[in-house]
Amino acid sequence: MPTFAIVILVLISAVLAGVIVVRPAITLCRAGKILAFGVLFFLPLFSLVAGMSNEMERSESTAFCLSCHIMEPYGKSLHIDDPSYLAAAHYQNHRVPADAACYTCHTDYAMFGTFEAKLGGLRHLYIYYLGKPPLPQNIKLYKPFNNRECLHCHLGARSFEQGATHNADPATLPAIKANTLSCISSGCHDVVHNVGRWGDKVKFWDGGS
Amino acid sequence: MHRADSMGRRLRISGTFVIIGLLIEALCLVWSKPIAFVVLVCIGGTLIGLGVLFFLYSLVTAPAHTTDSSGAAADK
Repeated sequence: MPTFAIVILVLISAVLAGVIVVRPAITLCRAGKILAFGVLFFLPLFSLVAGMSNEMERSESTAFCLSCHIMEPYGKSLHIDDPSYLAAAHYQNHRVPADAACYTCHTDYAMFGTFEAKLGGLRHLYIYYLGKPPLPQNIKLYKPFNNRECLHCHLGARSFEQGATHNADPATLPAIKANTLSCISSGCHDVVHNVGRWGDKVKFWDGGS
Repeated sequence: MHRADSMGRRLRISGTFVIIGLLIEALCLVWSKPIAFVVLVCIGGTLIGLGVLFFLYSLVTAPAHTTDSSGAAADK
């Protein structure tokens, strides 16, 4: 349901609740009782669930993640005009949905991945508003990046399975799949966001959303 | 008469909680900051929940009445 539709629903619910508050006597008749039940029980709960669902969906958007000032350099890194930058290459070539780029790579594809991501978001909020947020270049992942997140899309893809570098050593591909050799380990795809280490020569692509 | 007044007062309290909660929710929905979700759930959701629960409590604890008294209340 679009946000504006939920806002209209919420406002209509509030107005109808206002009618009950101003004229509680209308609940003395049967129609008034039905109205009161709808306005003070059904509509508020429905509006709340719809609003929360909308916010949960919005929290997956790239714009939502980048709305925190501290994440601005990470948003900028998505526009670096250099295919060796992993995040930028994925974002610009739509290997991940551009409107959910952060969420797509940084959410565990496990049973409680989404739940953990939301809890992580609450932790970010706590640090941002009540703690001492680190500088953007000092932000670290809570735990090492799991290859599972990459393999969610790349496993079985020809470019991955038959890639020359992946097959140069017969032990490489099984190690990647077993998560014992990280995709972003040194010498592999280790240039991801590289915030704070761009230098002066880096260029930015001004296209995309 | 007393029953109607009591119920009316409870509906006003319940409705006020719900209205404030809904207005906070509406503000959060148009506020595009990450804290909006927390405000929606913690403040808006709590107020709406309190309003709904108080409304249900009012229904459950409303004193029983006869058909005559119901008719008299409706007449008023």
